[in-house]
Amino acid sequence: MKILLTLAWRNLWRKKRRTFITVSSVMFAAILAITLMSMINGTTDQMIDGIISNSTGHLQVQDVLYDEEPSMDHALEYGDEVKAVLEKYSDYISYTVPRIQGFCLASKDIGTRGVVVTGIIPEFEDRMNDLSSRMIEGEMFTPDDNYAVIAEGVATQLEVAVGDTIVLLGQGFQGMTAAGKYKVGGVLRFTLPEQNNRMVYLPLREAQWFYAAPDRLTNLIIMVDDARDVPLLARNLQNDLDGEWYAVKTWEQLMPDEVAAFEARDAQVRLFAWILYIVVGFGIFGTIIMMLYERLREFGILLSIGLKRAQLAVICALETLFISFIGVLSGIVAGFIVVYWLYLNPIRLTGDLADIMLDFGLEPIFAFSIAPHIFIFQGMIIFIIALIVGMYPVRKVFKLDVVEAARK
Amino acid sequence: MKTVIKTTDLSKVYNGGAAEVHALKNVSLEFKQGEFTAIVGPSGSGKTTFLNVIGGLDKPTDGHIYIDGVDLATMKESKLFDFRLRHIGFVFQAYNLIPVLTAIENVSFIMLLQKKSKEEMERRAKEMLEQVGLAEKLYVRPSQLSGGQQQRVAVARALASKPDFVLADEPTANLDTQSAFNLLDIMARLNKEENVTMIFSTHDQRVIDRARRVIKLVDGAVDNDEQFDR
Repeated sequence: MKILLTLAWRNLWRKKRRTFITVSSVMFAAILAITLMSMINGTTDQMIDGIISNSTGHLQVQDVLYDEEPSMDHALEYGDEVKAVLEKYSDYISYTVPRIQGFCLASKDIGTRGVVVTGIIPEFEDRMNDLSSRMIEGEMFTPDDNYAVIAEGVATQLEVAVGDTIVLLGQGFQGMTAAGKYKVGGVLRFTLPEQNNRMVYLPLREAQWFYAAPDRLTNLIIMVDDARDVPLLARNLQNDLDGEWYAVKTWEQLMPDEVAAFEARDAQVRLFAWILYIVVGFGIFGTIIMMLYERLREFGILLSIGLKRAQLAVICALETLFISFIGVLSGIVAGFIVVYWLYLNPIRLTGDLADIMLDFGLEPIFAFSIAPHIFIFQGMIIFIIALIVGMYPVRKVFKLDVVEAARK
Repeated sequence: MKTVIKTTDLSKVYNGGAAEVHALKNVSLEFKQGEFTAIVGPSGSGKTTFLNVIGGLDKPTDGHIYIDGVDLATMKESKLFDFRLRHIGFVFQAYNLIPVLTAIENVSFIMLLQKKSKEEMERRAKEMLEQVGLAEKLYVRPSQLSGGQQQRVAVARALASKPDFVLADEPTANLDTQSAFNLLDIMARLNKEENVTMIFSTHDQRVIDRARRVIKLVDGAVDNDEQFDR
């Protein structure tokens, strides 16, 4: 075996240019696959992060009926039972964001608009989505204040400025009328029109009073340290909470349309990736064929003087293994450099595409991911492709006509 | 003298498109131990085919090749590889050394495949390289040797494993006159010292003049078989 290993290794360096070409084809394939997948994973992660931080959070605890009928009557009781369960899993939970929200009418003078009145604790909202940074006028309330902060679109439609008063009217808990008069203390600007034209915020305690639902929440958002913990944490929370009253939902369950869109996109990406792998496979195959036909005579001679076909096949397989390994390893290193640079300096989008991303609350960039699994998985795929393609010379060795080959 | 190779009614037909080519026609020959034989004839007369067939590289269409009483014509390919490894030495026109191995590694290569001990391999390889006048070039790769030197390494490789016979296909065709004479001197000396049968296919009059037996093939058949006292 040692001599076969020696022959394979020395053969690599015998014709350096030939080896360089083959290794390069594997290396560029790995760089291409890694860069493509990094971009796709990066943009997907970016969109998921956008959804999680701007909308659902990682998980939500809701009343069991809230999802079917999101009304104030289905606000959950945020009492000792829920707090004890959350405490049990505090190692996994980064922080929680309590909200109570309902649909109301907001009016000023003769103007009336439909709005979503949400009770929040600003500190937690800021941690989740930096809400206060959207303030364009006035200032964010503290938990003990009792004034409202409204979105810019609402302010425009009602012709309200900071210091004016608005009247809110809606449905409270168990048929109570929710009615209140609030001074506007600040105006927020959202890029997403749906938010900009509808959002009205109150301090949580004030909103609970407004909705006549003390200690109740419509959504208890849970943010975790590691997104990979979400499925397990959701199962554990659901098991520990009374299923008759509480439902634990992941962001995927809360945003099924977005998840379906991601899955459709994933299917397209997979198809594209397979096309890339096929192209890459043929690229490597081309260089291996070139290498093989240059060496047919040499193979014939080796078989003539007594080397067995299986031994020659082992030499070819070892050469393929070395080339694939060196190619993939250098591809991963070079791919990491490329991707890391793009990760630090993402491609900035302009024009309509940038506007669309801004509307969705996303930064208008092509984000790249440097998750280790991309490098490992893509490296392995290219390695396997190179190995499969590299088996062609091995197969050829077993079918080689010794006399014909030696005569070439 | 012991018979090393015996062929009976050896025929080889190639199906080259519309026409069949009879490369060998009923060739029946015997080669004794220690013979130094040249197979001569014009191009296309069947010299190389004859060497390929008796070397087990190619299968005859008809007839038998007996080596040590074993019929190569009916042997399976897997057995043939092993048989060639243990019984036959090859010298090719284009030297065909393994480019990535040094001279001593090339000479040891067949013994290595035969699983000889390291000490025996090294001793025999050095001995053979000394015999062919390359004691100073043990650790040199083929690309650093002249054509004549490479062919001498090839001869050392063919003989190192002590085969029953050596087949040499036009061994001097690529060599200049001086290198060809040197090689022939070495082969003739080793033929006697090692008592190994050597069979050459050749056009080269210098080889023919040194051979003790000359077999002439014409159109795949034996035209003449002469012995010389040299």
